[in-house]
Amino acid sequence: MSITTTPADTAVSAPPAAPAGGDTAPVRQDERLRALTRNPAARKLLVLAVAAAVLVPVAAATWGSGSWPHALTVDLSGPLGRANDWIIDNRDSHWLFLYFFGYISGGIIAAVHAVYTVLLALGWAGVAAGATLLAWRVAGVRVAVTTLVSFAVCGLLGMWVPTMRTLALMVVAVAASVAVGALLGLAAGLSDRTFRALRPVLDTMQALPAFAYLMPVVLIFGIGVAPAVLATVVYAAPPMARLTALGLRSTDKGVLEAVESLGATGRQRLLTARLPLARRELLLGVNQTIMMALSMAVIASVIGADGLGDRVYQALSTVDVGSALAAGIPIVLLAVVMDRTTAAAGAAGDSGRRTGGRTAWLFVAGATAAVALAGRALSALDWPGGWNVAIAGPVNDAKDWMVDHLYSGLPGVGGTADWAAHYTGWVLDPLRDGLQALPWWGALLLVAALAWLIGTWRTALTAVLALAAIGVLGRWDTSLDTLSQVLAAVAVTLVLGFAIAVPAARSARAERLLRPVLDVCQTMPQFVYLIPVVALFGVGRAPAAAAAIVYALPAVVRITSQGLRQADPAALESARSLGATSGQQLRQVQFPLARPELLLAVNQAVVLVLSVVIIGGLVGGGALGYEVVFGLAQGDLATGLVAGAAIVCLGLMLDRVTQPTKGGARDGS
Amino acid sequence: MNGTDGAGAPGSPAEIVGDGPVRGAAPAADGSVPDGPPAVFSVRNLWKVFGPKAERVPGSSLADLTPEELRERANCTVAVRDVSFDVRQGEVFVVMGLSGSGKSTLVRCLTRLIEPTSGTIAIDGEDVCGMDSGALRDLRRHRAAMVFQHFGLLPHRTVLDNVAYGLEIQGVGRAERRAKAGEMVEKVGLAGLEGRRPTQLSGGQQQRVGLARALAADPEVLLFDEPFSALDPLIRRDMQEEVVRLHHDEGRTMVFITHDLSEALRVGDRIALMRGGRVVQCGTPEEIVGSPADDYVRDFVRDVPREQVLTVRRAMRAALPGEEDAGPALTPATTVADAIETVARTGSAARVVDDGRCLGIVDHRSLLGVVAGLDSDGKAAA
Repeated sequence: MSITTTPADTAVSAPPAAPAGGDTAPVRQDERLRALTRNPAARKLLVLAVAAAVLVPVAAATWGSGSWPHALTVDLSGPLGRANDWIIDNRDSHWLFLYFFGYISGGIIAAVHAVYTVLLALGWAGVAAGATLLAWRVAGVRVAVTTLVSFAVCGLLGMWVPTMRTLALMVVAVAASVAVGALLGLAAGLSDRTFRALRPVLDTMQALPAFAYLMPVVLIFGIGVAPAVLATVVYAAPPMARLTALGLRSTDKGVLEAVESLGATGRQRLLTARLPLARRELLLGVNQTIMMALSMAVIASVIGADGLGDRVYQALSTVDVGSALAAGIPIVLLAVVMDRTTAAAGAAGDSGRRTGGRTAWLFVAGATAAVALAGRALSALDWPGGWNVAIAGPVNDAKDWMVDHLYSGLPGVGGTADWAAHYTGWVLDPLRDGLQALPWWGALLLVAALAWLIGTWRTALTAVLALAAIGVLGRWDTSLDTLSQVLAAVAVTLVLGFAIAVPAARSARAERLLRPVLDVCQTMPQFVYLIPVVALFGVGRAPAAAAAIVYALPAVVRITSQGLRQADPAALESARSLGATSGQQLRQVQFPLARPELLLAVNQAVVLVLSVVIIGGLVGGGALGYEVVFGLAQGDLATGLVAGAAIVCLGLMLDRVTQPTKGGARDGS
Repeated sequence: MNGTDGAGAPGSPAEIVGDGPVRGAAPAADGSVPDGPPAVFSVRNLWKVFGPKAERVPGSSLADLTPEELRERANCTVAVRDVSFDVRQGEVFVVMGLSGSGKSTLVRCLTRLIEPTSGTIAIDGEDVCGMDSGALRDLRRHRAAMVFQHFGLLPHRTVLDNVAYGLEIQGVGRAERRAKAGEMVEKVGLAGLEGRRPTQLSGGQQQRVGLARALAADPEVLLFDEPFSALDPLIRRDMQEEVVRLHHDEGRTMVFITHDLSEALRVGDRIALMRGGRVVQCGTPEEIVGSPADDYVRDFVRDVPREQVLTVRRAMRAALPGEEDAGPALTPATTVADAIETVARTGSAARVVDDGRCLGIVDHRSLLGVVAGLDSDGKAAA
């Protein structure tokens, strides 16, 4: 609520409030009332107060208090279960599956298999050489060295085969995502109507947790590689579509006019001006798509994608931190290598440096082939097992030591398990119980008021409908459990984030130290964050919250410190010249000026925390995430699907409630 | 603003302008010229109204409203208001006015980069407004090329490829268009920079690229939309001289948009002065400066050094007996400033001679009268 307080708002309430029956001049009260009605935020508050005064007694009298009434729920598990049974029965016979879905999944499986075969044929030396040379051509020597080391580490950890499986899946998924996203973006970039129709859909899709995409594809395609790739494409294509459309739409109008004045046809305009000028956005789109695809390809291990994610998943389910780490490190390395390489490709266009020349690419291809052939001649295609370094054992030993020494009983500070227990007992439980004790209509009113205060009546309507849909789906209590975890984690994230961002914004040195850390943190897939928190806190809701906080923190720090630093230097200077202390500068100049960024940081914190809290179902986070995992594990798709729908609604509600401006650019990956 | 040092140009710019075929011709009310070379562009009653249902504004009672009233009543803005003029072959036709006067919209209407609301535009007698998209593309490709204020260069292409771009979209082969582009790059003085990117060039150099790109298609007419407004004053001067030189060498028809009066006077054969979408006066620089049509124009040209624009035609008086054979001889196109120099140096009155015939006499008194602004309006000479 305090976020919505505008400078004008504080100015209104600045004079000491006159007692209502006091003898102050009525004229001044009049003025203050008028000032109140003129300020939009204050007007909204006034309307809300009136609405609450009328609605609350009525609602309380009609429905009483407590959880969502059973009469208003619709049990979907029956129909969904029947639909699932029908699909399973007809998967091998119905024309829809034989001639449409069958071809899709068959095509995907064939493509992944083909890429995997090529990777196998190249051998470990060929793949490593090819990737290194590619990185060298595109991004320079440093990234090439990083690539080489990364692939070597993947091999040394004994993860060569899973890495190749993940890579094969990634290649197919990224190619499909980029193609689909670019086509959608092209349509939205060229046609205003498509853009207006597509934009809210893409915005919403980017706010939803990855887990929500899993269930529908499983319903149709079952468990396996094909649904994993499809879920990845659905998750990773939106950024490409967004950025393609953005790039095409932001072409310099002067250049377009000049091109038109020379008599270019529409097609010539697109091919010679708009697309080349959008190069930067297109490559940024590819970069984001790759990062999201990797994130999803790892999560999709729960629906049958093998590879690194599967190893992490299996290890986590037995709380085998050592094995999880051995598979997690290659994921991080892949993420870093892919991010650096594609980011460098995007930056190369700006500085005018050419990435290629045909001879250079021929050299890359030729050298790769030569290394691959050499490997084949020496029959050294498979990674030599003798080189492997088993880290699982030592890591588990270290973890056991931690369990013995750090979990509890440390003098003065307690231990990690104690902290987790306290967080659960003193924060999560009261919050959850409080939310669940809230009368359901009260929750709806609260959400409506919040969303309306921050956004428009339209966002408020969407938020209320989404929350009501959760009730209708019969997931009221479970969702409030998830919500309590999200709210607590967001609060911690924001406190920590602001505490880090404020000094970082004020000191160039702190910012320089922080930047590489943030860069690495923001490229890592959500899944990976689960590994260290399980090592530190065991399983339960507290480690899920910890993973969520760690995952959301970099984005919050980055957005906040950027916002604070971008505050108009002239305004800051004038405040300094008037003798403002640094605290006054921060409170009276920087925070008000950075208000849009602060709101965006809150929004991002909510979206990112939710996505990890849901995945936390894998490490004992319970609630909605667990229901999805349970549905998958038990083959009870109906439960999983309903939980997935509730996740969508919760994500929609949270995003809308914290949506500060209509259509603010959001690009936190 | 005068310069006797014009690159490759004999004498002052005003004199070059004075050599133009239309100098001295009396303008008709609509800006067309009754005789002389044929019109390239012929614009009649052109309107451009922005806003919903713009086509109902021209000719209706709405057109008489003030801009504010019109915006309130119909949510429309009139950018070009009932404009007519001819651009004659080989001349530099300047449209000048302050920002918001509609001049940039006007020049975009000529090739329908902005679709006019009503009125007719003809190029060589051919109706532009009736052209289908193919014919219009042809017009833009071969007959009228434009140079823009903010250059409009493609940042991902080299200088040479930018210049060749117009030929590329015409479908000219790679070798041929690059050869032609190389020629143009040399012509605008950028030889040696062919491989650079636009971002690596200065503003003046970028605009030279824009000029070369327009020239590469060998168009009949060059359209300039405030081409030098974004440049530093010194570079602007260079570029103006470049345009004057190009015009002198090739005699290509040019339409030149500017908000800078001294630029208009320097490059223009004829100037149309716009205000609020209307052409308030259309004539030679000498007519604009010497005989402003109304107070607005008079105010506009008040600070112009008159002696550098007006010619001795305007200053001379009839010759007294005996004066016709004595003293230095000047051509009728000599500026007053140059005549003052001659008269001051010789100490005697000078004759204005055209084809060996003495038209009149300028002496101290008549020349100073021009500088002081004592020559009454409407007394256009000859």
